[in-house]
Amino acid sequence: MGELYAELSKEIEFSHGMHACMDCGTCTALCAASEFYDYSPREVMDIVQSQDDDKIRELISSNKIWYCGQCLSCKPRCPRGNNPGAVILALRRLSIKTGYFAESEKGRQQLLAKRKFGDNMLNRGYTLLPTDPAPVRFPELGEDWEYYHKHMKEMRQWWGVPMDLENSPGSARIIPKKDMQELRAIYKATGAVDLMDKIEEGMAKKLGGKEEVDEFWKVWQDTSDTKNYKIKGCEKK
Amino acid sequence: MKGEGKARVWERHQKAVPTADDPGGKEWGFVRSCFLQAASPYTEGIGCKVMENDLGMDLHEAAGHTSCGAIAFHGDTTTLQANMVVAARNFSIAHYDLGIDNFFAYCVTSFGNYTEIIELWEHEPELREYTERTLEETTGRKFWMPKVSGGRPSVVHASDVIYANIKKIAKKAKYSLDGIKATDHLGCHYAKIFPDESIGGGEFPQLLAGMIEAYGGEIVDYPERRHCCGMGFRQCAFPENRGYTAACVYKKMKSLKKTDPDCKLIITNCPGCGVFLDAEQGTIAQVMGEKFDVHIVDYAQLAGLMLGYDPFKDCGFNVKVVPIEPLLDKIGIEYDKSKTPEERRRPFGPE
Repeated sequence: MGELYAELSKEIEFSHGMHACMDCGTCTALCAASEFYDYSPREVMDIVQSQDDDKIRELISSNKIWYCGQCLSCKPRCPRGNNPGAVILALRRLSIKTGYFAESEKGRQQLLAKRKFGDNMLNRGYTLLPTDPAPVRFPELGEDWEYYHKHMKEMRQWWGVPMDLENSPGSARIIPKKDMQELRAIYKATGAVDLMDKIEEGMAKKLGGKEEVDEFWKVWQDTSDTKNYKIKGCEKK
Repeated sequence: MKGEGKARVWERHQKAVPTADDPGGKEWGFVRSCFLQAASPYTEGIGCKVMENDLGMDLHEAAGHTSCGAIAFHGDTTTLQANMVVAARNFSIAHYDLGIDNFFAYCVTSFGNYTEIIELWEHEPELREYTERTLEETTGRKFWMPKVSGGRPSVVHASDVIYANIKKIAKKAKYSLDGIKATDHLGCHYAKIFPDESIGGGEFPQLLAGMIEAYGGEIVDYPERRHCCGMGFRQCAFPENRGYTAACVYKKMKSLKKTDPDCKLIITNCPGCGVFLDAEQGTIAQVMGEKFDVHIVDYAQLAGLMLGYDPFKDCGFNVKVVPIEPLLDKIGIEYDKSKTPEERRRPFGPE
């Protein structure tokens, strides 16, 4: 058993999700991601079960672990009581902690996840804010959604769900300072802040510094596509 | 035989959710959904209106409740340990600060997250000890275990609360689904992670089908009924991945249309499904040139419509991609026809 496998085994999600896989492929047959991507949870379970560090390293450096949509449709169907979706969660954490996530295109999207879901939690106490499903990034929500975004406060008032209320119950309210302090203390004590820091650090190491990470973020904000950022020294000829 | 089999399965998978007429069943605490607050805030609005005005419930919400963080967890920027302590904090606030014992989540992701955490606490006492200790050290708060369903450790989803009271709501309803074909789409994190926590189980969930039946609708089954909507957390969140979402919606829509082209109504209970099953029909129309025009209606919006609430001001059908009017006309629901569709949707002028 290698070091990576040993590290993986420490994750709660791993010990609950990985028992003994018999390679039947039921998970892959019903997997939403397998239909869309070159992805097979059966293959993932097989690699992990081999306990081969070289194979695990290759897996957590690749796009594959990021294809899963976390619907967990696999969990109730596995005849051996495994939970491939939970194993994916453990693999993704290992990929972030070791920095291998930054080696793949889909892995590098973790910077967006961190600066959206993670930072939103630390700053506002919600993973998503009313401004997040912006029309520019969700054109399929249509013109009425654009109208709503222009009239957000009034529309929410009109619907009876006013926003940004202070020291009050309510939709997308301002969570009191004391409660935010408690939340941040929890995130610090439970390793969540460390995990987020690892994402920033891993990206800086891969891209060549914090300025480059900010440039990557800016390119995404401007174009909604991380592929428009070119890693220095890796430009295609 | 088919009906008997269904009845047997449904009998085996029931939850004891207090109704508004049970002792103490009027007092509830709740937590909101990040996704609903951001992408369809009116859903929580109409849900609260139905529970308060029509079921006479007293709903309590703390200013200091936070998100459960599960979107950040499935989006891989936080840890299970963080989720456990945040859950314990939200439970503690509900019980010790608000003084309530019944607790529901508006979000299916939160419901799945809380259910998983409660199961972990039950199976691994050291994780519960870790949570109690960390909660105390970081916030000074005391641990409290919710036991909402049948006195065992559990929380429930808002749709469970509506379902528990569905007979009362259907009796009060101004409209019915008589002659309307409809199907259900359960959130994966409601029915699949812990099928025993889903009313009716994971294979043939009763929750939304039961609501359709209670309102007099005709249920349509189709092959991809249980396929995920494709929300997928990081898949829907970043435009470069959203082909995944659209592909899942396309698969479902094609399957439904092939099975029964007259079924134009899907009832949902999960925030992501409610948004993307609707919105991606627009993408599919643009990319594939195929239109499905299937109305995606959340269970709370459906209760609102049936009870006679305004489809736009109360139920929020202003911002759906598939126009709601054909469904309103089919059911016979009244709305202001002197206004143009745009005027109905834009109460603050055209721009």
